Amino acid sequence: MDTRDLIARIKNRDISRRDLLQGMSAAGLAVVMTPAMSRIAKAAAADQATYFTWGGYDVPEFVPTYVTKHGEPPNFATFGGSEEALTKMLAGYVVDVAHPCNQAIPRWIATGLFQPLDTSRLSNWPDIMPELINLEGNVVDGKPYMAPTDWGRTSITYRTDLVDLQGQEESWGMLWDERYKGRLGMLASGGDSWWCGAIYAGVDFKDIASEEGFKKVAAIMRKQRPLIRTYTDDTTSLEQALASGELVAAMTWDSSAVVLKGEGVPVTFANPKEGALTWVCGAMMHKDAPKPDKAYDIIDALLSPEAGKWLIGENGYGHSNTKSFELFSDDELTALGLSSNPADILSAGKFQIPQTQEFETAMNKEFEQIKAGF
Amino acid sequence: MSDTVSIAVRPAGPGRSWRSRLRALYLRSEALRGYTLLSPTLVVMAFAMVAPFTILVAMSFWTQTGFDIDTTLTLRNYQEAADAPVYRALLIRSLWISGTCAVLTVLFSYPMAYYVAFHVHRRKLVWIILMTLPFWTSYLLRVFSWKVILGYNGAINSGLKSLGLIEQPLEFLLYSPTAIVITLAHAWAAFAILPIYVSLEKIDRSLLEAAADLGDGPVARFLRVTLPLSLPGVIAASLLIFIPTVGDYITPTLVGGPDGIMIANLIQVQFGRVNDWPMGATLAILMMIVVGLISVTYIWLSRKAIERIA
Repeated sequence: MDTRDLIARIKNRDISRRDLLQGMSAAGLAVVMTPAMSRIAKAAAADQATYFTWGGYDVPEFVPTYVTKHGEPPNFATFGGSEEALTKMLAGYVVDVAHPCNQAIPRWIATGLFQPLDTSRLSNWPDIMPELINLEGNVVDGKPYMAPTDWGRTSITYRTDLVDLQGQEESWGMLWDERYKGRLGMLASGGDSWWCGAIYAGVDFKDIASEEGFKKVAAIMRKQRPLIRTYTDDTTSLEQALASGELVAAMTWDSSAVVLKGEGVPVTFANPKEGALTWVCGAMMHKDAPKPDKAYDIIDALLSPEAGKWLIGENGYGHSNTKSFELFSDDELTALGLSSNPADILSAGKFQIPQTQEFETAMNKEFEQIKAGF
Repeated sequence: MSDTVSIAVRPAGPGRSWRSRLRALYLRSEALRGYTLLSPTLVVMAFAMVAPFTILVAMSFWTQTGFDIDTTLTLRNYQEAADAPVYRALLIRSLWISGTCAVLTVLFSYPMAYYVAFHVHRRKLVWIILMTLPFWTSYLLRVFSWKVILGYNGAINSGLKSLGLIEQPLEFLLYSPTAIVITLAHAWAAFAILPIYVSLEKIDRSLLEAAADLGDGPVARFLRVTLPLSLPGVIAASLLIFIPTVGDYITPTLVGGPDGIMIANLIQVQFGRVNDWPMGATLAILMMIVVGLISVTYIWLSRKAIERIA
């Protein structure tokens, strides 16, 4: 039955019950079919490569040249922690490009799931800061596995109107401050929290896997547990809680502070006197990447100054391409907590040191128990 | 049937007697025919349930070493699960949360089911559909909406604040075991309403009239006739809620906070960032055993109770 015909007949009240039911069931069928139809329409995305990345990086702005070249962004899949990502891939999840950080590189390579990069296929490679390429364990037989893309810090975002520093310097102690019991937030992943605990406990990263260092960090994390309102990997919920005043301080990455400042919330990203945790993350290519050519397009896009512009301007993270920093004035960079000479910030922070898988398992097991209250 | 005929006229031979005997056996045995009819389901069950379960059991006796799994059989994981207090405490907390949630859900759902069964006479189906309406949205969305209601600046807190009843938002509402119980009780309500409604609907109304004729008031009539006869629905409803909620991990992740972590959260991280699959399998099996034992005891006790009432 023609729709227009049906509507006309409803208007003229010239319609039998059977006709109406027929029309309704057609409409019902259309509603049921809609998801199937849109899935067919979306099938084109199967032509794109898959980028497995941290939540928040899954935006077209981070892969600008890929979008211009192929007309649409790659498929994004996200994770909340790189350990979780690795177990997922070990269980058989195949992606084209993944997004680990410096501390994970040797272990990721050891799984045999990744292939070294052919840097001649990356047009932006000559502009990449060499100190970011020569990270511990990254270059094997002269070939790098991870193309560094972004770097940043894990520190404390706090409400300047609600936290009273009492004339003291900013310190990791803010997240252990009894005065703010129940109003502090932490990242749930040990990959950040445990290392920051080590900085506060005064454990040198070289000794983090030693029995004494392990016990010291565990003790300090246990001490902190009653003060914490929530442990989460979801930075958005930490940002919302900081904005509403539910939390006065939380462990975050650079971008949370930049996002909140942009919304007019009085926050600042602390520069703790003990040193912030510094990390470098990048792109690794799966050994069975289904679309290797497009995988190189993703990596090249991540390294482009256009990606750096988004990373620096919108998030306050550092980029690996020196040309990205030339897009900003010194004042703009200082306001974001960055510098025109990125090496300064990198050398001032505390760099994570790659650990064995046994340490990762033991540490995560212990941290899960601490979070559960034991 | 032409098939039968062709077999009947076929000349005798070794193949024929074997096949016809099999056929006769098949036609004679009701059980065999039943299993054949069930076979597609049985195959699915074997692949989708028995096989994963066998892997889980086997894995719980293995150990994780780095990225690899050592397949020497050992009870080490069970030993560790028994020794570390965290596992026992979280299991007890999960059972406690789910038990409370099952009781509360049944208590709140019973009047609703009762109303539809006894006081709604026209368009009962519409009422039932309206009651299940919240279930048309995703489970995740329902949990998030509770986060909005219970949150620091949520509906309850801002309501109480604007009424001038509180100065500071109530913080215990969100990120606590209470929040989990509230969220689960709402999310699983349909699973309580439907079985209770069915068992109430089945009650023979003449029994109620008889009770009234013999001098029972409304309360006595409810306690002596309606409630005992609807107990099967109540028992089914409480088990339907208790068993799956013990293993829930989304709700505690979103609204539970540090004090609301449940055993399933710990199982999930074993398969995720802790990367100790055998330990995760062990915990899953222990949880299954405990939940199984509790359910069997509960069914046995309630059967005894029904026998005594009857």
